Amino acid sequence: MQIKPIITYSGSYPLFRSLEAQILNAIPLDTCEWRRTFQRPTKHVRLEAQTQQFSVEPLQKYKQGDWSILEHPILHIFVTECNDVDTYKATIREEIDTWLKLLASYGVSDWMILLVETLDMRKTKNLLPRTTVLDKMRLDFGSKNDDRCISVLNPAKFEQKSTESFRCLVQRIRFLMLTSYNRNIAKYEELIRSKRERRNQDDWDFRQYFFMQEDLALIFEKLELPTEALIQYDELDAMFSQFITHTGFNEKQQWLSYFKRPLSAFHGICLSRADKFEFREKIRTEGVSLLEFRNYLFERQAYLLLSCNEIPDIAKRLLDFLFSTLREVEYIKLDCQEGALSCWEFVCALEVLQLCEQAMEPNEVSCFQHCAPIWNLAKDKLYELGKLCGLLPGCTPSSEQLHIVVQLSSGIGDAPQQPLQFLEAMPQLRDRSPNRKPKKSAAEQLKEALGSNMAFQKLYLELAELAISTYKHVARLRSARLVGLDLGNFYCALNEPHKAVGFFTDLLRELKAENWHTLSSQTLLELANCYRKMGDSLAYTKTCSSISCCAELETLVRTFYFDEFLKSLKTLKTTLSAQPSMENANYCVLEDHFRILDIEVLNTKPIIQDELLLVQLKLDSLYPRGIVVESMKLCYELHVAPESESDVLQQVALTAPKHKECSSRLKVSLQLFHKQDNTLNCASVVCDTPKSKQPVRRSSSTKRKLSPSMQADFANFVLAENIALHPGINHIELQAKATRVGRWQFKQLCLSMCSLEFLSEQLPSTAQPPSFEISTKPASATLEFKTLIAGIVQPFNLHVSAGSFIFPADAKITLRCSKNLRLRQALAKDEASYNDDATFETQLQVPLLQLKSFEERRLPLEVLTDMPGRKVAKHYEHHITLNCPWSRNELQIPVEFQPAMEATCRLHTCGTQKFLQVIMKGLDGELLLQHAKVKCDVPGVRLQDLNPSSQQPIEIHKSLTVTYLYEIQVEPLKTEQELPIVKVHFVVKYATVQQPEVWRNYGCAFDLVDYSTLFKLQAQLEPNELCRLRTVCNLHLKITKVNENPYTDLMYEVLNDQNLWAVCGRSAGVVSMKDVDCHSISLDVMPLSTGFLPMPSIRLSKYTAGGKSKTDAHSKVHPFPPGQVYNSTKSMQIHVIASVSAEQ
Amino acid sequence: MAFCIAVIGKDNAPLYLATSDLERELDLQYHVHAALDVVEEKCLIGKGAPESKELYLGLLYSTENHKIYGFVTNSRVKFIVVIDSSNIALRENEVRAIFRNLHMLYTDAVCNPFYIPGEQLTSKKFDKAIQKLMTGNA
Repeated sequence: MQIKPIITYSGSYPLFRSLEAQILNAIPLDTCEWRRTFQRPTKHVRLEAQTQQFSVEPLQKYKQGDWSILEHPILHIFVTECNDVDTYKATIREEIDTWLKLLASYGVSDWMILLVETLDMRKTKNLLPRTTVLDKMRLDFGSKNDDRCISVLNPAKFEQKSTESFRCLVQRIRFLMLTSYNRNIAKYEELIRSKRERRNQDDWDFRQYFFMQEDLALIFEKLELPTEALIQYDELDAMFSQFITHTGFNEKQQWLSYFKRPLSAFHGICLSRADKFEFREKIRTEGVSLLEFRNYLFERQAYLLLSCNEIPDIAKRLLDFLFSTLREVEYIKLDCQEGALSCWEFVCALEVLQLCEQAMEPNEVSCFQHCAPIWNLAKDKLYELGKLCGLLPGCTPSSEQLHIVVQLSSGIGDAPQQPLQFLEAMPQLRDRSPNRKPKKSAAEQLKEALGSNMAFQKLYLELAELAISTYKHVARLRSARLVGLDLGNFYCALNEPHKAVGFFTDLLRELKAENWHTLSSQTLLELANCYRKMGDSLAYTKTCSSISCCAELETLVRTFYFDEFLKSLKTLKTTLSAQPSMENANYCVLEDHFRILDIEVLNTKPIIQDELLLVQLKLDSLYPRGIVVESMKLCYELHVAPESESDVLQQVALTAPKHKECSSRLKVSLQLFHKQDNTLNCASVVCDTPKSKQPVRRSSSTKRKLSPSMQADFANFVLAENIALHPGINHIELQAKATRVGRWQFKQLCLSMCSLEFLSEQLPSTAQPPSFEISTKPASATLEFKTLIAGIVQPFNLHVSAGSFIFPADAKITLRCSKNLRLRQALAKDEASYNDDATFETQLQVPLLQLKSFEERRLPLEVLTDMPGRKVAKHYEHHITLNCPWSRNELQIPVEFQPAMEATCRLHTCGTQKFLQVIMKGLDGELLLQHAKVKCDVPGVRLQDLNPSSQQPIEIHKSLTVTYLYEIQVEPLKTEQELPIVKVHFVVKYATVQQPEVWRNYGCAFDLVDYSTLFKLQAQLEPNELCRLRTVCNLHLKITKVNENPYTDLMYEVLNDQNLWAVCGRSAGVVSMKDVDCHSISLDVMPLSTGFLPMPSIRLSKYTAGGKSKTDAHSKVHPFPPGQVYNSTKSMQIHVIASVSAEQ
Repeated sequence: MAFCIAVIGKDNAPLYLATSDLERELDLQYHVHAALDVVEEKCLIGKGAPESKELYLGLLYSTENHKIYGFVTNSRVKFIVVIDSSNIALRENEVRAIFRNLHMLYTDAVCNPFYIPGEQLTSKKFDKAIQKLMTGNA
């Protein structure tokens, strides 16, 4: 069908004909700007045209309102060649006038007067005509629109010169055409509107209206406005549907019967027709069925969409088109063969899919989004047909069914021969793989599939797979799984359950992930069926078990599968030898069969290492009947403290909720903003929705597995064995020895039944106790004491901290003491043996009677250590070694004692007599002393007690001293040369004030040296009685040898106070005692002060003369120890009186 | 009027599902489940402008017999309504009205302090009202 705007011509026909071809060819060469009315966007349009001789007939129609914009001439041209003004005036003007009046009478204003000039060169050169014909014309007709009068040089005669004027002409024609369209389209639209208004009148015919509006659509299409053309078709589409569905039973609509012809043929749409308007003619002439009409409408819409490059839209519209058409068929109760509509739908679907497949980029989701349901539909329709024709697996078509096939095949019709130009014309379509066989047309494919069971299966599987993969491609997993269900069922029917299993498990996973229990239990039934057919007893057992736990299913079904499960479980034992492991898939998801409600640790806190850990498990068994579980293990792992989110929140949240929040509750926190000076600026409530909680689009549903994903480390677990579980809630006690120390958390529950293991995926947080601790605290023993004093009974405590150690009833601690240290358990004062020192032992066993774990016990003990006599007050260091039942190692504890008292001795000389003074100095504690004694075992040395023999004990305390005095008498023969040291032993009995009846001995050994006097020194001052100040006196020194001794050379020195005495002359000298017993020396001294002055003190030293050998060149002076020299005039005082002269 | 009304939680688990035809309940459930695909798709597209978020999602998809419409609340609870596609009296506006009513009923139901969000809706009152809504007597 040719659609070209019509231009009519009048006036000089032969002249126009001579120009016609040239003009028509020139029009499409360039575009023209189309300024449209109503502010619609301007557009550059390329026009075509055809010419007709002017006739009144279309104008007649136009006036009557019975015209079509398609057939209506768009421009009327009057052509004349008149160059002579006179001729023009005589004839042509008249002619034009009549022509224009005629046009005006029909309300047409789209005209143009074309003056073809055959210019005479000579004439124009010589004389310029005053007025040309064109001027005249313009004056006469073109007063308002002088652009409608145009002259052109006859191109046939002036080839060169005419080009410019010809171009102008064509341009003008284009312009006028478009102007005309503006007007005419508006008018035509008005006409359509008015026609539509009358749609409920009796004589109204949809077909007429259809062609009328379609003509407009065609014009729009021609004018390169496919979207506007599409709008016309969509309006028609909607209107048609409305008629059918709303007024379908209205007898008024006579024209409806026209579409009510039976559907003997049910060709699908064809998007690659050679003749797009094949059906348009048919509608007009023969009449078509509803399906054919609908097909045509859709094909047109599809074509327009394709020209807008809106291929996804075609797919999007298809389902609506199919379904609404089906509804229309139903409404007007068309007779059709069973299956006919399925065939039609199938072919339509495949046709669109083929187009999409060719047109779309694989990553362009928008198209596939619409394609996926179409694939699914095609698959479903094919299945319906297969069912109808006995082509399903396991069926063979009966003769009636074969008959149906034949009828359907003829109804499907042949696809029109495809010149393929329709597709090739579209640049966006391309052949993806050039080597691919050209696809069979949809109709052919269907016919082939209906031809044999094999072909049917092949096509069905292909379509199903395509539907699934397309759904997956656009991430519609649920839909994909649903198709999988159909496919799985098909495989089951094909007796290929192993292929079906995959689809069912996929679906099951998807459904379970989102808790669609009713559906998942149905899927489980399908799966059980598959596994039974496959003879996969393990999977079958597991599935049976799952089914029997589905609360959604009827009890009868559940118990049946429960029995199956038990039966199968028994056979499993024999068929399966392998241990449960991830590989041989003996694992089941525990949550499908049991529900963990609560886990409680029964032990009182804290749990001590090696104690029996008791855990109570509250388990809901979903089985319809009781079942025996061989073992139940609940493992626990070290608790990892989670990064406390609340800490972060705490900074802003003043009232952070302490309890565990319900997951659906919003986290609302208070936010306070302070100004710089800490006053409140504003307060707000913040609800922070964490970003991560946003639903994440899943690419694959791995949310929940059908088999447990991981097995926790079952190194630590509590166990219960052979438990009968009733349906419903069971309380089970699990136990194990708490072997390892730490903070633990329960991780996974594992139930074993024969060779099946039920592993929990994750323990519900509500059931999970926060965590429990198995602890151990080392037992310890310490000694507690204050300052300990040696020699007296001292209390101290043995502190035993039991820790987590479990003590036997008769446990004891052994304490061993170092030397001289003894212990006993503390006794009360009134006990008989309280004062008995023999109760102190060096080794003591302290019984820890009934000592419980974590008990702390303080055991009072008493300690006593000997007080060995020492001259200097020093700490006594001891230690106590503990031998504890919890440790193999001995524990040594150092103990320090302070001495209770201190004994020192001094040797005093009185001439040749020697006296021993023993000084007892109390340090700590109050003591009583009595029976002091000295002993000396050296022969020839006798100690004479000079103390009063008092019976009364002497009390000493801190900083109080007691002195004992003894005289030493040494036989003269026993000189110091023989006995340089004399050992003297001092013993005294002492008691504490608190315990006065217990006397202990205190002994102290003294070494006496220099116990005999060697020299005696006497000094005498003369004049003896009266010594005057600053008067020289004579100091007589007398050195006498008392006992025989080896020291011969002695040196004396006068050591005087410089303020008191002055020595005149030498103050020191050396004397030799060799062979002499006595020496007298005289010195002059002078007192410098009055009063009682001490005698100048004299020092006597051993003198060794030097110079005899080189090494010992200097003389040496050694002092005598104090006991060897006795100065008999030591503390003598001299009364010095003032000198006479001074008195005078 | 409506074949099936389903309330689906934010984790896509069904909270409530009522069908008018028990025999086809399973089939309808499958369809409702599959419709979640489209709901997710639409929610993802509408993510850009949360201010002007339209709760009504419109037609999710249609089959020969059913039209499936969706609605998602601000708390991501989805309502799915399956209606008979041959019932041409049921226009978009009527479907919107169904959803509006459904939303109100749901809000009333979850306002019950004894209802824990995310659990199955077992309220008899709610069920009654939904049944009424399904038959078109709401």
